[in-house]
Amino acid sequence: MRTYKNKTILFLVCALGIIAGCEKEITVDVPLSERKLVVEGYIEQGAHPYVILTKSNPYFAAIDSNSLIDLLVLNAIVTVSDGAITDTLAITFDANIFPFLIYRSNNITGQIGSTYSLTIRHEGNTYFSSTTIPAPIPLDSLWFKVQPGKDTLGFVWAHLTDPVATGNNYRWFAKRIGKDEKFIAPIGSVFDDKFVNGKSFDFAYNRGSVPNSNAEDDKNDEQGYFKIGDEIVVKFCTIDKANFLFWRAAEIEVSNNGNPFASPNTIPSNITGDAGAFGVWGGYGVALDTLIAQ
Amino acid sequence: MDDKFMRLFSFLLRGVFLYFFVGALCVNEVNAQAKFTISGYVKDASTGEALIGANVFTKADFKGTTTNVYGFYSLTISEGTHTLVIRYLGYTEQSLELQLNANKRINIDLATVVVQVEEVVITGEKADKNVQSTEMGTVKLDVETVKALPAFLGEVDILKTIQYLPGVQSAGEGNSGFYVRGGGPDQNLILLDEAVVYNASHLFGFFSVFNADAVKNINLIKGGMPAQYGGRLASVLDITMNEGNNKEFHGEGGVGLIATRLTLEGPIKKDTSSFIISARRTYIDVLSKPFIKKTSNAYGSGYYFYDLNAKVNYKLSDKNRLFLSGYFGRDVFTFKNKESGFSVNIPWGNATTSLRWNHLFSDKMFMNTSLIFSDYNFEFGAEQSEFEFKLFSGIQDWTVKSDFSFFPDIRHQMKFGANIIYHKFTPSNASARSGEVVFDFGKIVRLYANEAAVYISDDWDISEKLAVHAGLRASAFTHLGPFDRYVKDLQDRIVDTLHFTNLENVKTYGGLEPRFSARYNINKTSSIKANYTHNLQYIHLASISAVSLPTDLWVPSTDRVKPQIGDQYAVGYFRNFKENKYETSLEAYYKTMINQIEYKEGAQPEDNVNDNADNNFTFGTGVSYGLELFLKKRTGRVNGWIGYTLSRTTRQFDEINRGQEFAAKFDRRHDLSVVSTYDYNKKWSFSAVFVFGTGNSVTLPVSWYVINGQPVYDYGPRNWYRMTPYHRLDISATMQGKKSKKFESSWNFAIYNVYNRHNPYFIYFDTEGSLESGYLKNTAKQVSLFPILPSITWNFKF
Repeated sequence: MRTYKNKTILFLVCALGIIAGCEKEITVDVPLSERKLVVEGYIEQGAHPYVILTKSNPYFAAIDSNSLIDLLVLNAIVTVSDGAITDTLAITFDANIFPFLIYRSNNITGQIGSTYSLTIRHEGNTYFSSTTIPAPIPLDSLWFKVQPGKDTLGFVWAHLTDPVATGNNYRWFAKRIGKDEKFIAPIGSVFDDKFVNGKSFDFAYNRGSVPNSNAEDDKNDEQGYFKIGDEIVVKFCTIDKANFLFWRAAEIEVSNNGNPFASPNTIPSNITGDAGAFGVWGGYGVALDTLIAQ
Repeated sequence: MDDKFMRLFSFLLRGVFLYFFVGALCVNEVNAQAKFTISGYVKDASTGEALIGANVFTKADFKGTTTNVYGFYSLTISEGTHTLVIRYLGYTEQSLELQLNANKRINIDLATVVVQVEEVVITGEKADKNVQSTEMGTVKLDVETVKALPAFLGEVDILKTIQYLPGVQSAGEGNSGFYVRGGGPDQNLILLDEAVVYNASHLFGFFSVFNADAVKNINLIKGGMPAQYGGRLASVLDITMNEGNNKEFHGEGGVGLIATRLTLEGPIKKDTSSFIISARRTYIDVLSKPFIKKTSNAYGSGYYFYDLNAKVNYKLSDKNRLFLSGYFGRDVFTFKNKESGFSVNIPWGNATTSLRWNHLFSDKMFMNTSLIFSDYNFEFGAEQSEFEFKLFSGIQDWTVKSDFSFFPDIRHQMKFGANIIYHKFTPSNASARSGEVVFDFGKIVRLYANEAAVYISDDWDISEKLAVHAGLRASAFTHLGPFDRYVKDLQDRIVDTLHFTNLENVKTYGGLEPRFSARYNINKTSSIKANYTHNLQYIHLASISAVSLPTDLWVPSTDRVKPQIGDQYAVGYFRNFKENKYETSLEAYYKTMINQIEYKEGAQPEDNVNDNADNNFTFGTGVSYGLELFLKKRTGRVNGWIGYTLSRTTRQFDEINRGQEFAAKFDRRHDLSVVSTYDYNKKWSFSAVFVFGTGNSVTLPVSWYVINGQPVYDYGPRNWYRMTPYHRLDISATMQGKKSKKFESSWNFAIYNVYNRHNPYFIYFDTEGSLESGYLKNTAKQVSLFPILPSITWNFKF
C-alpha cells in the first residue's frame, strides 16, 4: 500500500519533467561493519528442521563467483532440541535452496505444540533462538478464478474462518506440480488477524516466483498468474508473531528495494547472541490443499 | 475544566496580581505630572491600508510606540507641547506639533516616498529598533523585499524568503515545511489572518500557499515567543492579508511560466469599506492538454494547484471595525493509465475563514475578537477495474479568541486575552471495495479535542537602559470522546477496548508557559538581550515516511501521547554601525524538546487501521543549540543581508537507533544566506541570492544479507550519512515598463541555480546482477531536482 503511494509521488515529480536527467552515481563511504551471521531456519510438523546459514556482506562490496564463497558458513555447530532430544544438524546439499548447502536434522521431527530451541556455535560466538509449532488452521475451501479479461489466467481464492481469539498469524505458499521446484511464498505472504479477527472471509493470492526467475512464464504476460490446467498445492501455515513481523518486514524490504521515499526498515530478528545476528527461526503449523485450476 | 487547570489558573492570577502590584509601585514614583493619551490609526494615504509596525514617537526624547496589526497606536505622555513623529519604511515622515491638554484621537495618513534614485533615503522604522526593542529572534519582512528577490520559476514565495534568515532552514527542494532552530515542521505556528494554515506548501514544498499579491505583512518569531502566541514549540509565522484599497478601484497581476495571478481591490463604500480578491492558478495541465492525444495511454493525467484569497472590511464607527477574510487552496493530481484501467486522484489543501471585530474601549484599550475556521485535508483515491481504494486524513479547527491591548502609560504596553479551539482530527482512514465486496477497515476514526489558553504580558521600560517583556500563558487541552482505546498485551494483541462516549473527558493536560525577555542598552548603538520561553504543544504531526509529505498525520495529545514541551534560552548582542546604516546581531540559543514523536521502527501505515495510531508511536527528546549571525544593510541603492547559522540538532528515542542519540534529518552545521538587491536606475533593478547549507542526514544501508534467496538491506545508525552540501545562486533583473497614470507593468527575468549545481534530492540504490548469476553489485545513485532554470514573468498594475 505504501510503496504504491510513494511510487505515485515519485512519478508525480518525474511527470513534471523537472528531473532533467540530474542523476549520477555517487560513492558512499560506508562505516566498517562486521560480517554478521544470517540464520534462516524452519521446522514444520512431520518434517525435519533445516537451517540456512550465511554471512552478511558490506553494502557496496561486489560479489562475484570468487567472493560468493565468502557468504557461506560451513563450519558452524548447529543443534536443535525439543527438550528431550538434542540433535546436531549436518550439512546437506539442496539444489532448490540458496546457497545450496544447508544444515538439516535427521533425528528430530516437528510436532504441533512443541517448542524447539536452536543453538549455533560459530567462530567463538553462540547464538540462540526458540520457536513453537502452532496448531494449523486449515482453509475452508480453495478455488481458482479467472481475472476478468485475462482469458485463462487468474488467482487462487480461499475461504478462511479465523478463530475467535486474536493473535493468529498466517503465511501462504503455493507450488504448481510439474512447474515449480518448491513451495513459493509470494510477496505479501504473511498476514495476521488484525482486520479479520473471528471472521469468515474470502481472499486471493497471486502466483509468486523464485527470485530472478528465468522461467518463460515469469517473464511474459503470465507472470503473477496461475493458469487453467495448473495443479496447485497450497501450503497454508500458522506462525508466531515474531515470524510474522520478520517476514512482513523482509518482504516490504524486497518490494521497497531502493525506493528513496520509504523509511529505513529494520527487519526484527528473533535470533539472540552477543555478536548479533540477522534472521529468523520459525515453527510452521502446516495445512496442505490441492486444487486443479479450471 | 478539571481541578488541575483551575489551580493553574489561580496561580496565574496571583502571579499577575503580584507583578502589577510591584509594577504600580515603580510607576507611582514618577507619576506626579498629569498625562494624556494620543491614539489613532496610521494608514497609507492612497489606499487606506492600515500600516503595521509604524513608529509613533515624540521628537524630544524619542519615546514612543508602534502600530499594531490593525494600524492602531496609543501613546500616553505628560501634558505640554510635543512634536509627534510618525515614521514608516518607504513613506514620507510626518511631524505634528501639538499642545497636549486632553486625550486626543489623531488618525494619520502617510504618503509613499517618491523614489529619487540619486538619493534613496528611506528612513523606515525607528532606525535603531534593532538595538532598542526587547525583541529577539524576530524578523519582519515586507512584501516588497520578498517580491524583489529572484523567484523559482517566477513564483514569488514567502516561505522560501524566510528560509534565507539565520535560524530558519529549508529541508531542501521537494520537502514541505521549514525548520526553525532545530524544531520540526509541525512546531511552526503558521497564521494567515489569525487562522492556522496546517500545510503551507503546494506540490511538496516547491511553492508556498501564500500569494504575495494578497499579503501585506510577514512577521516571523523564531525565539522569545510572546505570550499571546502558543500551541507550538518553535516559531510563529504571522501573515496578514491586505485589506483592499478603500479609496479607488485597482488591480494587479502577473503572467508567469507556470501560473497566472490576478488581484482586484476597491472600495465598497469609500473610506468605510473595501474588498480584495486575489486568485492564482497553475496551468501546466491546461497548456499540455492539446499536446496529449486522446488516444494516449496517460490521457487525463495532470497536476494543478490554485489559491483564492478574499477579504472585506467594514468600518462601523470610529471605534468598531469588522474584517472577514478567507483562503481556499487545492492541489489536485490525477494519473490515468488507459491500458490497465488504473487511475489515481489525489486532492489536498487548506481552507480558512476568519471574522474579526476590532473595538476601542477607550483611548488606551484596544480589543480584537475573532471567530476562526481552519481546515486541512488530504485524500488519495485509486481505482483499477473492480477494485477501489480510498485513503483520507485531515484536521479541522474552530477557534474563538479575544485579544486586548492596554497602553497604561508610555513605559508599559500590556496584552491579555483568551482563546478556545475545538479540534476535529481525521487520522488516516481507509476504505476499499472490490466489486460488491466492501473490505473491513474498521470504523472511520475521528478524534476530538478542546484547547484553551489565557495569557497576559507586559512590555515594560524599567529605565532608560533596561526594558523587559514579561508574559505568562496558561493553557489546557482535553481529548474528548467518542473514543475507543485499544488496550494491548506484550504480544501486541488487543486484549480490551475502553469506550469513551460523546464529549466524555478522555484525558486533560495543562500547564503554565512563562515567557520572559530583557534588553539592556550598553550605549546608543549597542545592547544585549536575553530571553527564556517555555512552550507547550498539544497537537503533533506524525510522519511515517522518510520525507515530509502531505500524507503526514495530525494527531492530538491523548492518554498515551503527552504534550510536547519546549524550553528555549537565548542571549544576543545587537549593534548598529554608521548611523544605523548597518545592523548586526549575534544570537546564541539552547533549546530542549520533550515528548517528541516518531513511529516505531518497522511500523507500517496499515498498523493504524483497527487500532489507535498512537499505539505505533514512540517518544523521545530533542536538543538544539546554535549561533546566529545577521548583518543587514538597511539603506542605499545596494542593500540586503548576510545570515549565518552554526548549529547542532539531535534526537534521542529509547526505541530508535538502540537508544543512541542521532542527528536530526535537518541538522545543519553550517547555513549561509547572502541576499542583495541593487537599484541601478529607474528602469532596471537587480537582485541575487546565494545559499549554502550542510547536507541533510539520511539513513543508508551498510550491509546486505540473503533471506529467502533474495538480498535485503541492513541499515546503519539512524541518519548516519551526510549528503553533500546544498548550495545555489539565483539572480534576477526587473525592467520597469512605461508608466502611465492608469497602467504600469514590469518584466522580471530570473535564473534559478545559475551555475547548475546538482544538489542532492535523494539517494537510491541500484543492484546489478543477481545471486544466481554469481555476480551482484550495489551502487548508490543521487538524484537532483532542478538544473539551471530561467524564467520570465510579466507583472502589471492598474
